[in-house]
Amino acid sequence: MIDRDHLDELLRVSDGDAGCTAGEDILDGYVDLELAGENPAVTYPGTAIHLQSCPGCRADHDGLLEAARRFSREPD
Amino acid sequence: MPRRPLVLPARVSITVVGSQPTAGTRAGLDRESKRWVEQLGAGHPRRDRAVAELHELLLRAAIHELSRRRDQLGSITGPEFEDLAQQAANDAVMSVLAKLDEFRGCSRFTTWAYKFAIFAVSGKVARHAWRRLPPSRRELAWEQVPDSLSARPGDRLEQREQLDALSAAIGELTDRQREVFVAIALNDVSIDVLALQLATNRNAIYKNLFDARRNLRARMAAAGHPVPERGAAR
Repeated sequence: MIDRDHLDELLRVSDGDAGCTAGEDILDGYVDLELAGENPAVTYPGTAIHLQSCPGCRADHDGLLEAARRFSREPD
Repeated sequence: MPRRPLVLPARVSITVVGSQPTAGTRAGLDRESKRWVEQLGAGHPRRDRAVAELHELLLRAAIHELSRRRDQLGSITGPEFEDLAQQAANDAVMSVLAKLDEFRGCSRFTTWAYKFAIFAVSGKVARHAWRRLPPSRRELAWEQVPDSLSARPGDRLEQREQLDALSAAIGELTDRQREVFVAIALNDVSIDVLALQLATNRNAIYKNLFDARRNLRARMAAAGHPVPERGAAR
């Protein structure tokens, strides 16, 4: 059944949504801020909003966050 | 292994209110990032080895990301899975080398490089999913109210009226907005798969979805059923 929360989720739009383009360009910086324990929404508010609404960019973000957390190392 | 070009989505902007930094100018690189950039540069004596290490790193990331998205890959396993990972890693390495001069140090180098592996996997998974199981006509068309929007015997009158208003509002969207909203919001079709189906890109589909949602909110409000926004940046 659809309730108020579900309906809000279904129709989520937020002013300040930076869109996919801006997020793709800075996604690495966004993720590194998260890994450093900082709040990326302070630096990249438009992308923070966008990630709440765009399933494609959210999946990319989640994948990048996990990869950066697991695999980063420097060359020998 | 054949190399295929990395196809990143074309760019469209949505509704930017305020601003946020772009990739910007090159900042002071951390030691690790500096080493990567130096060793991957043309003419560096360790370049071949650095490229091989980068490929190894991006292949590992691609394999992990493909596993994470396995639910979209159907029965792909073994050599076919490995081939997809190799293709994604190859594409990502090519992108990193081609864009090396654009690395600005706004993140660690490896995070920046992984981004191209994730984008490559994202595109390949969507293409595979679309070929395997393209969205059905039913998932794109507004022919019947989906179960998630159907009124049920126990619903209060207010809820039923709200659903009726939403249903009517969906019917008044433009054809493209309705198609995108019904597929993504109501039938959980992947945004990238839908982009392939409609021969466009993620950004354009997102713009359609954004406009559809905004129009639906406006129409719901005009019909006496406003949906208050809870939205807040995370």
